[in-house]
Amino acid sequence: MTEPKSRMLDLGSGRPRLEVQEAGSGPPLLFLHGAGGVAWDGALGLLAKHFHVYAPSLPGFGKSPSEGLELIEDALELWQLGFDVMEKLGLDKPLLVGESFGGWIAAEMAALRPKEVGKLVVLAPVGVWRDDAPVTDLFGLTIGELLPFLFHDMKCPAAKNMSQLTTLMSDKDDRTQAQIDQLIGIFLGFRTAAKFLFPVPDTGLERRLWRIRVPTLVLWGAQDRFIAPSYADIFAKRVPNAQIVSIERCGHLLLAEQPEACAREIQRFAGI
Amino acid sequence: MKFTWFHLMPYRWLPADFRERYHSVWVDLPNGIYDPEKGHDLYNEYLDMLEYAEQCGFDAIAVNEHHQNAYGMMPSPNIMAATLARRTSKAMLLVLGNSIVCYNPPTRIAEEFAMLDVISGGRLIAGFPVGTSMDINYCAGQNPATVREKYREGHDLIVKAWRTREPFAFNGKYTKLRYVNLWPRPIQQPHPPVWIPGLGSIETWDFCAEHDYNYSYLSFSGYKRAQNMMRGYWERRAALGADDNPHSAAFFQQVCISETDSQCEKEWWPHVDYFFNKCLHLYPGTSEAPGYRSEASLRAGIVAQFGNTTQNMGIDKTWKQLVNEGYILAGSPETVRQQIEELGKTLRVGHVLLGCQIGSAPAELVNRATKLAGDQILPKLRHLYSDYEDRWWPKALPAARRAKAGAHIPVSAGAPR
Repeated sequence: MTEPKSRMLDLGSGRPRLEVQEAGSGPPLLFLHGAGGVAWDGALGLLAKHFHVYAPSLPGFGKSPSEGLELIEDALELWQLGFDVMEKLGLDKPLLVGESFGGWIAAEMAALRPKEVGKLVVLAPVGVWRDDAPVTDLFGLTIGELLPFLFHDMKCPAAKNMSQLTTLMSDKDDRTQAQIDQLIGIFLGFRTAAKFLFPVPDTGLERRLWRIRVPTLVLWGAQDRFIAPSYADIFAKRVPNAQIVSIERCGHLLLAEQPEACAREIQRFAGI
Repeated sequence: MKFTWFHLMPYRWLPADFRERYHSVWVDLPNGIYDPEKGHDLYNEYLDMLEYAEQCGFDAIAVNEHHQNAYGMMPSPNIMAATLARRTSKAMLLVLGNSIVCYNPPTRIAEEFAMLDVISGGRLIAGFPVGTSMDINYCAGQNPATVREKYREGHDLIVKAWRTREPFAFNGKYTKLRYVNLWPRPIQQPHPPVWIPGLGSIETWDFCAEHDYNYSYLSFSGYKRAQNMMRGYWERRAALGADDNPHSAAFFQQVCISETDSQCEKEWWPHVDYFFNKCLHLYPGTSEAPGYRSEASLRAGIVAQFGNTTQNMGIDKTWKQLVNEGYILAGSPETVRQQIEELGKTLRVGHVLLGCQIGSAPAELVNRATKLAGDQILPKLRHLYSDYEDRWWPKALPAARRAKAGAHIPVSAGAPR
């Protein structure tokens, strides 16, 4: 697996400082992470064999200071921040890939300034809502209870790995400093997601889907229990040029649970 | 020392197997198990208890605010205070709600508190909790990442509305109003005393010191476990250059008072058991939304969503443990008096908020305790800190100038008032 390099991106005063991880060579791929942050041990490492992958972290995620969140006033400024990062990194019409929370941001960016996005890949994005199939409450479950909503197979390596986190939820005050930092890190990342998604993650994206006039790939886990796979139909109906691909034996965290299948689909869609 | 009789208003008929059948007393407990007819009796019984507390000599009576909660049935503390304003005439009215961020526009709070102050003849103490995460995030849908900022802005608007005699425009981030012009405005000038309930965050202490507000530490775990926290409060005040006036602080303490020590456990245990083992049954997943506390406060405390919120809540403790560890002060009036004195001296608080009703405790038992407290506890402790000026107490109209409820209703023949 290609090890990513990490650096801090300075966007100028009054704007958040963000960590960007990057690896690989090839056409540019800008990856926007979900509420769990950037993870290289899934599909990103595979994609870095074919793309130059850039993965910025929002405030509160990775090494990006959480105070930066105060500098993002609302959703519009969040989408604009995405373009600021693109500009700073010198990316011209990258392949824009976003998962879940990041999938929403990627879709909004493509709707806002479609001419600046090459192609769009969204993996089970949030932002849309159906009363008859409510999105699971990301902010109203303990982590141990949340995990079965995120994976199809709780025995898959990524799920096992993430289950380690539940051991941190001890009733006793016996955590190490590293464990406390890890917990605080999860909390700060969730806080950032909450700023834009609490309490009901309906961001109004559906009204803007028609604006996404770039080739779009929508990946959805066939067994997604966090956001029902039927949500993919909304994107199929409203996004003008969308392919929908269902990933079998897969829950909500597609890149973690089925990295090979996801990387394959993204490569195929990009024509590489 | 001054004494406030504080009601939580718990629902009394949670089933015996409540903890097995439901995952929380709060947020998502189905309201199908609430019986409105029983609720009718309960509200009236509870309000009677508060009114009786005035008769027994309590300095103030208190209500608070919770939402979707079976141990706190006052989503609108102002409605409760309004009934009390009419039915009482001497006691001050401590309203330890309004959770500012839940009201839009916040001038609604300035208006309602002004109404209460005017109706009661200036007896109001205005409480401004941030509100628990259960209340303001999970029940009221307020965004945890911005709620502190919204709270501060709402507070500034309310206080400015109280203090300003001409219409003004308010251009906030969360509230924009072209014409702010409060009708009515409060009797107390420049505004009623403000008390801020809290659970020990440094930010709240600083806020109180900055504005010279009373800090009310509301804990269910009793005064012995509050020693470190209140020491921190006084140290922080000193560091900020604020005085050490005991009346700047209040402490909530639950008490079980019987005629004798020996009968206390028998009379009170079922109700104490109901409170700690049913009313405090909380689900960790909805106990704290991410962003509700700052990173610093998180590091300082237990991370509720990750840890066990019931850790210090007194669940599954015996009567003896709850008494020995100070969760409840229990016994004869003299036994409880000694402990309240120790509470007042060790925490250095000039205001004690006594939870005289606990869990399922009925009026007969509670009223008896209230009377015992009024006769045998309060008079013996009032001297404590009486040499300090209490800047956090209402400046009500003199009794002679207060209107009498019902004075203008014609007395018809055969219908005595």
